[in-house]
Amino acid sequence: MYAALSLHTAQHVPEPSTEWSARTRERDLIVAAQHGDRGAFAELVTLHQRRAYAVARAITATHEDAEDAVQEGFLHAYRALDRFRPEQAFGAWLHRIVANAALDIGRRRRVRDADTLSDSVALPFRDPAEQDELRRRLAAGLGELSQRQRSVIVLHDVEGFTHGEIGSMLGIPEGTARSDLHHARAALRRTLGDLWSQR
Amino acid sequence: MSIEPRIGPHGRDDDLTRALRSLYAAPSDDAYWASLAGRIMARIGGDAAVEQWWQPLARFARIGLVAAAVALVAARIALSRDAARQTAIAYDGVIETPANAPLQLATDAAPGSARDATLRYVISP
Repeated sequence: MYAALSLHTAQHVPEPSTEWSARTRERDLIVAAQHGDRGAFAELVTLHQRRAYAVARAITATHEDAEDAVQEGFLHAYRALDRFRPEQAFGAWLHRIVANAALDIGRRRRVRDADTLSDSVALPFRDPAEQDELRRRLAAGLGELSQRQRSVIVLHDVEGFTHGEIGSMLGIPEGTARSDLHHARAALRRTLGDLWSQR
Repeated sequence: MSIEPRIGPHGRDDDLTRALRSLYAAPSDDAYWASLAGRIMARIGGDAAVEQWWQPLARFARIGLVAAAVALVAARIALSRDAARQTAIAYDGVIETPANAPLQLATDAAPGSARDATLRYVISP
């Protein structure tokens, strides 16, 4: 049983030595990038861009805005790299910067959308591949949530961030993140409830 | 109609999470990520190039600012010295009597001359 437990654990948790070497490697890259090695920063981009995109995508309404936010975020991170302390978690630091860039893009988008009244306000997730009813209804339901509620539910339920991490990224208290998550889930369940009960 | 959320082991509504994941799925193509990383580094490269172009000018601008500040301080000192000199001259003008100022000669008559005049008037024919 002990062996089985060890095997089970090994499947979910990375080996400490692997994790340690990854952290050491990341720290080396950060220090090199801080000394002007752009190749080292490129490696950091490769390591973190998917997670950064996920953070940005949770906050912005479209894939294109998420891409812009990721690029802005990395650019800001590069400029501020000399202020990063190596004992900090680089991922968390980067995610805060990317989230801020995404929120900023969202604000600018809202100002533009207010000028041009269009159906994109009600349905911001216009995905050409959106075929089935569930996706259509989910998109409509998400469109009715506030931007913050939408970000919180995606960051928590899809990306697996904790309430504390989400609060830190979005600049809100942990309790607010918790409450936003509760309300967002309830609203989406109401939107999708009859669809699920038909199954 | 009853809504029965299917809550998973992590407190998530599994159906909802699945639907959200399908909607928010990130591009899975490695070529896309390589291209995005390339674009990010191109922006950083462009930013650094602008910074490099600006750096010598920024250095000159810094030197210019320092020179302007020094010139300003020197001008201020010169002005205050000049003002002090002007004030001193003005006070000197008031306090001291100029050495070469024209003197008005007093033509005061001798003490007895008025009496003599009266006498001359009385005795005159």
